[in-house]
Amino acid sequence: MTEPTFDSIFDDLVDTSEELQGFLTILESLLPEASLLLVSSTDVVLDGAKSLALSPPTREKLVREARVTEDFVTGKADSGAPCYAVHLVKLSAVLIISCAAVPEGDKDPGAAMISLLRNTLELAFYRQEREVLVADHEQSVRQINILQQQHGKLIEDNYRQYRLNQEREKEYARKLESEIAKQTAELREANVRLEEISRLKSDFLANMSHELRTPMNAIIGFSELLSETPLAEEQLDYTRTIAQSAKSLLSLINDILDLAKIEAGKLELEHLPFDLAEVIGNVAAMFKIPAREKGVVVTCRIDSNVPKRIMGDSNRLRQVLINLAGNAMKFTEQGGIDIAVAFEREAAGRAVCRFSVRDSGIGIPADRVGAIFEKFTQADGSTTRKYGGTGLGLAICLQLVELMGGRLAVESEVGKGSTFYFIIPLEEAPAEIISLQEHKTAGHGKAVRGGRILLVEDNAVNQRLASILITREGYEVEVASDGAEALEHLRHQPFDLVLMDVQMPNMDGMEATRRIREIEADPDQKQSYVGLRALTRPLGIVGLTAHARKEDETACYASGMNGFLTKPIVKAKLAMILSEMMPQISGNDATEPS
Amino acid sequence: MPSAKEILRKFTELKTLPHVAIKVTQLVNDDRSTMQDFEEVIKLDPVLVTRLLRLVNSPYFGLSQKVESISKAVVFAGMKQLRNLVAVEALRGMFKGDDVDFSAQKLWLHSATVAILSGMIAKRIFGKDGEDVFLAGIIHDIGLIVENQMAGEQLREACRAFREGKGSLIECERNAIGADHAEVGYLLTKEWGLPQDVLSSIKSHHQAKQVKSVSSTGSILQLAEFMAGKMQYWHIPGPIEPLPPELTAHVKEKVADYKIIIRDLPGEMAKAKELYESEG
Repeated sequence: MTEPTFDSIFDDLVDTSEELQGFLTILESLLPEASLLLVSSTDVVLDGAKSLALSPPTREKLVREARVTEDFVTGKADSGAPCYAVHLVKLSAVLIISCAAVPEGDKDPGAAMISLLRNTLELAFYRQEREVLVADHEQSVRQINILQQQHGKLIEDNYRQYRLNQEREKEYARKLESEIAKQTAELREANVRLEEISRLKSDFLANMSHELRTPMNAIIGFSELLSETPLAEEQLDYTRTIAQSAKSLLSLINDILDLAKIEAGKLELEHLPFDLAEVIGNVAAMFKIPAREKGVVVTCRIDSNVPKRIMGDSNRLRQVLINLAGNAMKFTEQGGIDIAVAFEREAAGRAVCRFSVRDSGIGIPADRVGAIFEKFTQADGSTTRKYGGTGLGLAICLQLVELMGGRLAVESEVGKGSTFYFIIPLEEAPAEIISLQEHKTAGHGKAVRGGRILLVEDNAVNQRLASILITREGYEVEVASDGAEALEHLRHQPFDLVLMDVQMPNMDGMEATRRIREIEADPDQKQSYVGLRALTRPLGIVGLTAHARKEDETACYASGMNGFLTKPIVKAKLAMILSEMMPQISGNDATEPS
Repeated sequence: MPSAKEILRKFTELKTLPHVAIKVTQLVNDDRSTMQDFEEVIKLDPVLVTRLLRLVNSPYFGLSQKVESISKAVVFAGMKQLRNLVAVEALRGMFKGDDVDFSAQKLWLHSATVAILSGMIAKRIFGKDGEDVFLAGIIHDIGLIVENQMAGEQLREACRAFREGKGSLIECERNAIGADHAEVGYLLTKEWGLPQDVLSSIKSHHQAKQVKSVSSTGSILQLAEFMAGKMQYWHIPGPIEPLPPELTAHVKEKVADYKIIIRDLPGEMAKAKELYESEG
C-alpha cells in the first residue's frame, strides 16, 4: 500500500488554485511593489493584486520557455518594463513577475534582479512551510498539555490513594492500639489478682504456721513437764509417746512450711559469718546419744584447708546436715556414720568443698536412687512403715543445696551403705567481722545461772509452760500479759532479760520494744524506770513468735529486739538463748535478784 | 426479522465480555475506586499483567526505572489507559474470520486504525484526552461482529448489496438483517457500561447529519472513519460515505494539522502495534 497523503485522502477538498493563491499572497506581502502573475500546470492564470499587463502570446511564450528551464526567462511587459518568468516545480506553476522598483538603465539590472527574486521565492516557500511547522509545534504543545493534565491527574489520584491508605493505616493502628491496651489491662488485672492470691497464700502460710505452732508449743512443753513428774511406768510411756508424736508432727509441719516457702520462691538464704566446725560439731553432737543407744559410731572430720569461718546460712546448712545425718541414723543398725567436709579446689577466690554424710546402713537400690529425692517417697514403699518419716526431708535438702549453689547426690550400694554429698563453694568470712554470737559464746562455759526474767505473753497456757521452763533453767520469772503491763513491771522492778511475745492485744511486742528503747535513750525517763535505770547497756529483749518466717525475724530485730526465739519453745533452744543473753554473774556487774 | 435487541440478546447469551473488562470498566466509571481495586482485578489475568507491564516499560512512558509491580504500573498507566488495554485485549479475540464478503480481521485493522487516528485527532488538534475516543474507535464496529455471528448470511447479503451500490451500508443492513451495526453496537456497549459520549458516538458514526460539535467524540470518530476508509483500511468494499459539511469545513481550516497527522500515522500505528499486539 502506498503511503497515503493528504491530497489522496481529502481529494474532494483540495483546490489547487487555492494553494497557488496562498503562495501568491505570501509573495505579494514580500514584494508589495511587484506585479505578479501565476500560470498553473493547467494554464489557469491567477493575477496578483497589482495586475501585470501582458499580452496572451507574450505570456504563453514566457510560460513555455520557463517550463523547460530552471533559470529565469526574461521578457518585456506591455508597459515595456522588464519582466521575468520562472517555473516553480513545487507548485507546478510558472510565475511571471515585473518589478517596478528596479531602476531602468542600470548596467546589468537583470542579474541582481534575478538573484533578488530567487531569494524572495525561497523566503516565500519557507513561509509556506512554516505554516506546517507552526501547526506541528502547536500539536506538540497540545499533546504536552494533555500529558501535563494527565500527570496532574495521576498525582491527584496518587494523593487520593495516599490519603485513603493513610486513613486505613490509622484505622488499623487505632484498632491495634486499643487491642493492645485492652490486653495489657487484662494482663494487669490478672497480675493484680495473682499477686493478691499469692499474698493471701503467704498470709495463710504465716497464719497456719502460727496457729499450728501455738498448740504444739503447749503439747510438747507440757508432755515434757509431765514426764518429769512422778509417774507410773505406763503413764511415763504414754507421756513419752505423746511427746515423741508431737515432735514428729512439729517437724512435719516445719518441713511442709519450708517446702512451701521454697516452692513459692520465698526462701532466702542468710549471708552471715559463722563457724563451720561449730555447726558440724553441733550436728554430730545431736546424734551422739541416739547413736550410743543404737551402738553406732558418729564421727566428723573437716579438712584443715577448709576455711574455718565462712559466710552463709548456718541454720539452713545445719538443717541439711541434720536431715542427712538423721536419715543415716534411721537406716543404719550397725557400723558408723561419718560427717565430713573435704576441700576440693579453689575457684574464683572461694574454697569449693564437698560435704558428705556416709553411713553403713541398708543402702538404696540403684533403680530407686532417683525416686528418693521426690516428695513423700522413700527408697522402698515398705520402709515408710518400718523407719517412719515423711519423705519430705530429702526434697527440702535438695532444694536448699540448690539454693546454696550445689547439687545433692548419692552414691549407694545395697547392704553396704550410702553416701549423700554435695559440693558447694564456701566464701571465707572477712577477718574483721567478729560475730556477736562468738563474742557471747566465748564466756559460755563460765556462765553461772541466776537472774530475773520478765515473760510477756498473753496466752495463759504458754505463760505457764514458759514460766516452768524458765524456772527449771534456774531463773526467776515474772509474767506480764501485754506490752503495757510489761512497761509497768519495768517501772517498778529490775530485770535481766525480757522474753517478749510478738502478737498480743493492747500493746504488741514490737511496740513495747520500741517504747523500751525510747525510754533507754532518754535519761530523764530512764530514771523513773527501776528496771532500766541501773543498766549500762540496752536491756536484752528476746522476741517470741510462732511466725517462723525470715521477715518476722527481721521485723523483730528492726523493732529493737536483740534475740529471737520461735514458738513452740524448745527447751534446749531456750536454755541456749538464756545462757547467751543473761548477764554473767561474776562480780559487781550482776543485778541483784529480788 | 429480528430487531437489534433480539440479535443482541442472542449474542449476549453466547458471549460475554470477559469479567475483567466489565469490572475494569465499572471501576473507571466509579470515582471512589482506587488503584488497589484495579490491581485486585487485573492481577487475576496474567496476559493482561504482562501487557500492562510491557506498556508502562515501553519508551512511550520513558520511565527511568523498570516497573515490576502491578500497582505501580496501574499508577503510571492511569485508569483509562488501563481500561483501553483491557478492552483491546477483550475485543481482539472476537475479531476473527476472513472471507470475501466480510472479513473480521480486516475489520480489526480498520478499528485499530480508526482508534489510533481518533486518539491523534483528539490530542493533537483538540487538545483533549484521547483515551475515550480511542475506546470509541476500537469498539465502534462491534455491531458488525455481533451481526456476523448471529446473522452471518444476512450480513454478507447486506455487504454485497452495499458493494453493488444499492444504498448505504446501514440501509443494506436494515434491509437484509433488520437492524444495523451502529444500533446493535450502541445497545451492546450500553450494557457494558461505557461512557455516554462513547455510546452516542457509536450510535451516530454513520449519521452524517447528527454532528453536534466538531470536537465531540462522534465527530472525531467520523473523521477518523473517513480517513481510514480513504487509506484503504476498509473492512467492507464499497463506496465511502462523504464527510458531513461541518467536518469538511473543519479539515479545510486545519489542512496543515491534518497533513501532520497523516504524516505521523504510520509511526503511531507501529507504536500501538508494539504496545497492544505483540505476544506477551
